[in-house]
Amino acid sequence: MSAIALPARSARRIGPTGVVMLLLLPIALVNAVGFLWPVVNLLRMSFKETQATGALIDTVSTATWATVLSDSFTLDLIANSVGVSLFITLLTLVASYPIALYLHRSTGLWRTILLVLVIAPLLTSAVVRTYGWIAILSSQGLIANALLFLGITPPRLMFNLTGVVIGLTEILMPYMILALLSGFGRLDPRFEEAALTLGATPWKTFWRVVVPLTAPGMALGCLLCFVLAISSFVTPKLLSGGRVFLLATEIYDQAIVTLNWPVAATLSMIVLVLFGAALALYTRALRRIA
Amino acid sequence: MIRTAPDEMAGLKQGEGFLSLRGLTRRYGPFVAVDDFNLDVAKGELVAFLGPSGCGKTTSLRMIAGLVPSSSGHIVVNGREITEVPPYRRDMGLVFQSYALFPHMDVARNVAFGLEMRKVAKADAAARVREAIAMVRLTGKEHHRPSELSGGQQQRVALARALVVRPSILLLDEPLSNLDAKLRDEMRNEIRDIQKRLGITAIFVTHDQMEALTICDKVVVMNHGRLEQVGTPLEIYEHPKTAFVAGFVGRINRLAGTASGGIAEAAGVKVAAPGFTGPVEVMVRPHRIVLSAGAAPAGGDLHQLSGTVARATFAGDILEYEVEAGGVLMKTEAATRGGETVHAPGTPVTLSWRPQDTFVYTAS
Repeated sequence: MSAIALPARSARRIGPTGVVMLLLLPIALVNAVGFLWPVVNLLRMSFKETQATGALIDTVSTATWATVLSDSFTLDLIANSVGVSLFITLLTLVASYPIALYLHRSTGLWRTILLVLVIAPLLTSAVVRTYGWIAILSSQGLIANALLFLGITPPRLMFNLTGVVIGLTEILMPYMILALLSGFGRLDPRFEEAALTLGATPWKTFWRVVVPLTAPGMALGCLLCFVLAISSFVTPKLLSGGRVFLLATEIYDQAIVTLNWPVAATLSMIVLVLFGAALALYTRALRRIA
Repeated sequence: MIRTAPDEMAGLKQGEGFLSLRGLTRRYGPFVAVDDFNLDVAKGELVAFLGPSGCGKTTSLRMIAGLVPSSSGHIVVNGREITEVPPYRRDMGLVFQSYALFPHMDVARNVAFGLEMRKVAKADAAARVREAIAMVRLTGKEHHRPSELSGGQQQRVALARALVVRPSILLLDEPLSNLDAKLRDEMRNEIRDIQKRLGITAIFVTHDQMEALTICDKVVVMNHGRLEQVGTPLEIYEHPKTAFVAGFVGRINRLAGTASGGIAEAAGVKVAAPGFTGPVEVMVRPHRIVLSAGAAPAGGDLHQLSGTVARATFAGDILEYEVEAGGVLMKTEAATRGGETVHAPGTPVTLSWRPQDTFVYTAS
């Protein structure tokens, strides 16, 4: 506000910044009530303790944090969750990239049909899709029966890490494809043609031109899928059969089965920190790409 | 990889150009984009492919570059058949209309790309990149991203990137059409200078007849996928073979007429038309018409047409008239010399022009 502005006018009028603030207010309120407050609650819970009997002690101490961070089981759990989520993210990227590239290059009705096919799984709940995978992967499932028919002893595809990886990869693929597509805007076929005429083989063209130009989309897709993978609960729960230990399933067990809310809260906070780390990595990667 | 087609290849060995196209054709289903294109380009020549959009000029260029496969025909460069050779082994330098500079690389790395692909030794490559960037007067901009450069600068980077690999042929696809008028004239001459200096054979695709006439050694006029005429700019302008060429290259007045016995009559003017019978089009360029006020003086062997001024436009350097004559609107233009009177609309005038400035074509 300039010093010579009439006070009456400036009092009645809302500047552009004021309008922005006013428009942001509803979502800020929703976030404060629906996200920030529960997170603060969780944080407070993580500083409480439980007795050996399981009773909650209303105190403020770092005992739970100390226990969780010194327990080799939870440390393994964190490392395992991060590793599995990274692996699933990579697998999803590799499986989705050709599809996204093909979709990006198709036009007209064919493109619409393909897009619908990609989005369609998102309209079905992950629970239903996981049961679908059980029907395919179980010891009496589609693959096992097909292999048995061919006289091959089927490997164990479910109630282990393999099942979790297969199921989650498929469930995350639509997200990855959409994220990749949103980042393919810079990919003009002229760039590839220019590379070809300059003597680059199709392989070289792909690595030197297509991949760098699609890197922003890849970074976004990987961030999204990593976050979704590490926080996914239903699919690992159903497909692991309690044999694979991941952060999200452990939080559920601690909160619902063991009723150790402080530990569940502490593990939840750790997941939040991992999200933050992933986001920081993403922003750094994006700055390097652009 | 070498296709042998004795019939088509016969005669190619002798008197063939540095670049030879033989029966080059591209079909998209029933649509023929380029139809039976034959051309010989000598080494060091700058040849324009000129025509309206959709005439097949860009498709032809892309076939030469290997980016569009030909449906039939042959492309021979320096005696080597390259029709089936993939683009990355053709050794062509292509400059795109949109420049297509790699946005994720700076100027130096864009220019170095082709050398890197050819595995040129680092030190040698660095020297050549420096030289190429200096050639297009962009020294100091090596580490700028394409997005930080102006259109003209991007165009020059594209040129340097295409030329640094010393391609056998430089292909330019509408290289000037994204530039503003002043820059276009400048770049046009710059491209010509560089091409002459390097002595490189070049194909220049354009829809702008000015570009084609002013800088090219040879002009190929195309329409509807077919070759209309090949010739020097002078031949194309002064002796257009078809009505399309006459109308597309430069401005022209058209008079409908009929021919019989070697004479065509259009709007009361009789012109020589050997070999024509039936409906014809008689054409004459606006600036070859001399406009004089009043009734026709004794014209001698000039063709003459009287009419009245419909519109006079004084454009500073030229004076343009539209004259109502013989039922059509004839355009004339003349360079101003100062002191001439501008005839008001309604003034009776006489249009005269020399017989050799008259073109006659069978009406389409």
